[in-house]
Amino acid sequence: MSTGSPNPPATPHVKAMNCPGCGAALTLRSFTQAVTVVCESCHSILDAQDPQLKILQQFKKATDEDPPLIPLGTRGKIRGTPYEAVGFQRRTIHVDGIPYSWHEYVLFNPYKGFRYLTEYNGHWNDVSTLRALPTLNSFAGAVSVSYFGETYRHFQTAQASTTYVLGEFPWQVRVGETNDVTDYVSPPRVLSSEQSGKEVSWSMGEYVSCRDIWKTFALTGDPPVPIGVYENQPSPFSSDTKTIWTIFAAFAILVLMMIIGFASFARDEQIFHGDYVFDTNSRGEASFVTDPFELKGRTSTLELKTTTNLGNNWIYLNYALINQDTEKAYDFGREISYYYGYDSDGSWTEGSRNDSVAIPTVPPGTYYLRVEPESDFGHGMIHYEITAKRDVPQFGFFGIALLALVVPAALITWRSMNFEHLRWAESDHAPMATSDDGGDDD
Amino acid sequence: MRTFYLLYGVITLGILGMAEYRGWSLYSVNEVKNVPRSVRDNPGSYRSVYSVYHHYTGGK
Repeated sequence: MSTGSPNPPATPHVKAMNCPGCGAALTLRSFTQAVTVVCESCHSILDAQDPQLKILQQFKKATDEDPPLIPLGTRGKIRGTPYEAVGFQRRTIHVDGIPYSWHEYVLFNPYKGFRYLTEYNGHWNDVSTLRALPTLNSFAGAVSVSYFGETYRHFQTAQASTTYVLGEFPWQVRVGETNDVTDYVSPPRVLSSEQSGKEVSWSMGEYVSCRDIWKTFALTGDPPVPIGVYENQPSPFSSDTKTIWTIFAAFAILVLMMIIGFASFARDEQIFHGDYVFDTNSRGEASFVTDPFELKGRTSTLELKTTTNLGNNWIYLNYALINQDTEKAYDFGREISYYYGYDSDGSWTEGSRNDSVAIPTVPPGTYYLRVEPESDFGHGMIHYEITAKRDVPQFGFFGIALLALVVPAALITWRSMNFEHLRWAESDHAPMATSDDGGDDD
Repeated sequence: MRTFYLLYGVITLGILGMAEYRGWSLYSVNEVKNVPRSVRDNPGSYRSVYSVYHHYTGGK
């Protein structure tokens, strides 16, 4: 981020000065602590430590080429301390020949010294220089640094050049000056090292929302909407992902307990069984009714199982479960078919000899079944058994419930992974280069 | 998000418990009212809504 260390604090006093290049009045906001000051009129970079304000460099840029979002001279409180924006620079790196620029703001407080803000595509960082050196780690090709017990993963190394400056700086700023910049991230923080020759300086940035910056400096208008995912932008999903899977695990245990509970306490009681034969050679009335049977307990399922001896044949059973007292019937039909054979692929089978169906919400009462079998004429005798069971747990619902619980958790995880994918797509360690991973995509 | 998921899960488990307790099923049946008592003596007099079923005569 910045280079060099700020000078020791001095007694604040206002200097009235004029640019030796164009004669325009200069305002020195950081008093004697500024090392260089840039004339806003002619863009002469002046030596602020020199009483004659020696011109160090002149660069040709229109003043409004890159206006600061925080105008110089604007004041705001950061972590309870008032700061004034005194300097502004644009820095640019080139990746695959494409220039990427971000902005840095120099903030000053006469008692606290300098502090910095960086902005890239609407993403802001509150930056201060480090007083201790991080420890460099390298394991299996992965480079990281440790600082006060926290590990920061290497994100990007690039050569950054200063392409535009305005205001005051506590170091010898020059347009065209280049530094090797390396970022290590541990959202919402980023550690940056800047190397210029043999001098290395470290700074720490913490992600700040655009809205907070606008509020802090009482800026007018709406803050620009951040574009894309920034290197140390905290993921809105990372903490959710862990918590939601923990909640899912708790729900899954509850579902398991419910399975055990319902399986243990369900009546699962056989209340009817009958053996029947359907003569397909007969043209007479095939329908019949069973003996009445009693359904006890609360309203619950009635499972009807049909077991047959079918072989290359089918049977269709029109069922009506009729309440003897209320004259209400549950009408349904079941087709059972079973075919088998042998061909060039080997033996094959199709269908099943047995069938099972759960009739929902059957109230208690006395019932009988009306059964009407159908099949092709002239296929002999079909033997079948009908078994009715009361209050049988429907395990399919447990599966559906687990699926309903896992889908949102998986969706949140996918969004979290996608967020990280977008973050690292901008790094030197992009997981996979795709045409959709443009830096400005959200 | 966490609160939403927690609420969603509680509702899902509530519906699951209700489904199991009330005896819901994934299978639906037709409910027919006023079935004449004579069906017990003359089963052929009842006309099932599925009586004109056109079956699949399967096999490979």
